[in-house]
Amino acid sequence: MNAIRVENLTKRYGANEVLKGVNLKVDEGEFYALMGPNGSGKTTLASIIASVRVPTSGSVDIYGRKSWEAKEWIGYVPQENFSSPKLTGRENLVYFARLLGYSGSQAESLVNEMLGRIGMSADADKRVGKYSGGMRKRLEVATALFPGVRILILDEPTTGLDPSARRKFLGLVEEVKDKQTTIFLITHLGSDAELASRVGLIDNGKIIAEGEPEALKRLHGLGDVITVETAVKSDKVADVLRNFSDEKRLLETEAGYRIYCKHGDKVLPELVRNLDQIGGKVTRIEVAKPSLEDVFFKLTEKTVTEVS
Amino acid sequence: MSQIAGAFSKTIKEFLRERAVLFWTIAWPILWVLIGSFVFVAGAPKEIVPYLRGATTISMLVFALMIAGIANLPANIAADRENGLLAKLMSMPISPRKDFVGRILGLAAFSCLAAALVIAVGLACGARFSTTNTGVLQAVGFLLLVICASAGIGLLVGTFIKHVHGAVMTGVGIAVVTSAVSGMFMPYSALPSSLQQFARVYPTASANSLAIYALMGEEIAGYNPLTVSQVSLTVALSVFLLVLGTVLYSRRCWRTE
Repeated sequence: MNAIRVENLTKRYGANEVLKGVNLKVDEGEFYALMGPNGSGKTTLASIIASVRVPTSGSVDIYGRKSWEAKEWIGYVPQENFSSPKLTGRENLVYFARLLGYSGSQAESLVNEMLGRIGMSADADKRVGKYSGGMRKRLEVATALFPGVRILILDEPTTGLDPSARRKFLGLVEEVKDKQTTIFLITHLGSDAELASRVGLIDNGKIIAEGEPEALKRLHGLGDVITVETAVKSDKVADVLRNFSDEKRLLETEAGYRIYCKHGDKVLPELVRNLDQIGGKVTRIEVAKPSLEDVFFKLTEKTVTEVS
Repeated sequence: MSQIAGAFSKTIKEFLRERAVLFWTIAWPILWVLIGSFVFVAGAPKEIVPYLRGATTISMLVFALMIAGIANLPANIAADRENGLLAKLMSMPISPRKDFVGRILGLAAFSCLAAALVIAVGLACGARFSTTNTGVLQAVGFLLLVICASAGIGLLVGTFIKHVHGAVMTGVGIAVVTSAVSGMFMPYSALPSSLQQFARVYPTASANSLAIYALMGEEIAGYNPLTVSQVSLTVALSVFLLVLGTVLYSRRCWRTE
């Protein structure tokens, strides 16, 4: 049985169609990441699955039940920091435990156990207003891990965290969840999405590709990615780079350019020579394997972060 | 029951830990009790000064209850909406009604604490009340109406004003302006006749006069508000505001889009 099954889901706000017939299946215990730029509809989709919004048409089933009949199985962590900064970490968790129907003493002992699982026992009695962004997010994830939760929906949980805190955070989520718990992660970061067992790419209200991270990269024929930074950006530099890129694709980034070619290492010397000839002084050049952001760019001609 | 207890505990802790809430609900009314007790009674005959102090204490107690309901409650709701807590709650198997009851009980408990402190300071400043046990019970009943009406207005503000600062400014503005124009900061007799009419209709001002009348009589209240028509109107409007606020809060703040 699918943990999440979304069929022909649409969502309209007036004339603006945010979701355009989304179909999605996530299996029990799977770590599924939905990646796309801001405005692509991913947060709307997550909030409909979590029963915070209602769809215009289509359906969402959670283990065969309608989503609003399965609230006790869903642990939803919205993008915003929803924990109360005036309460301590422990008081916040006790508040959520009590909302879920635990008595005072049951809530206390359950919260002690959860604080241990997320490694926050030492900071439990500090007010949340004094927590770092990463600590606060960990606490908020704990509010979604009470017994009975089978699907954890995380909406951009690593926004505002530095890369190492991000990896640590997502590692912790994997560690603390039960084996049967399904994770549905919303992100615009390829590095976060790569931790998932399956990734869906969403753009303009539609899922445009889906699969295991490595399979997605292979499937879309991305060989190597060459990142080039030159002293000065110019049309001439861009033209040279485009000539070395498969399908003439060139992605302009803040610091330079990215191109895609089957055998990056082999073309590198010639590429540098050609740039030298037109006076494009290379300050940094790197050949790497493609990321999910590159797959997204190949499919949409847009960058995830650029649109964000 | 545990859902109500959870919402109650969160609400009262947040009120007690927010400096702005403590200032407007406790320190500000106490400051006015002090000023009213020692500055504004300078020209009054000595024998009625303790009762004027009593009237000031009751008015400031009512003002504290108004601020708690009209400003603190909507700020609390707006903060929960702004920081995503309401979205989180909507995704959980919990009832909006229980959340509401917990919040209102938290508000009531905090209001009682503020009221007790204001009365204690008033008594320490020499406030006296000439009344019977029945009068005290009547006054408590009228003060409960203040909590109902204020909570109702607060729920309306919290439902329609989406952001914390907007909710605070609107709430404080409504509480201060309506208090000023309905004779909470001055004797009823000093109000122009149109505002005297307003003071008889506006439920918190009317309940304030009723409480003063029950505790100190007509001379200090400025008129006799204890009539069937005024009491009925005050009760009806207070209950109506609370019911309207509750219905709109449950429907709009907890509405899935």
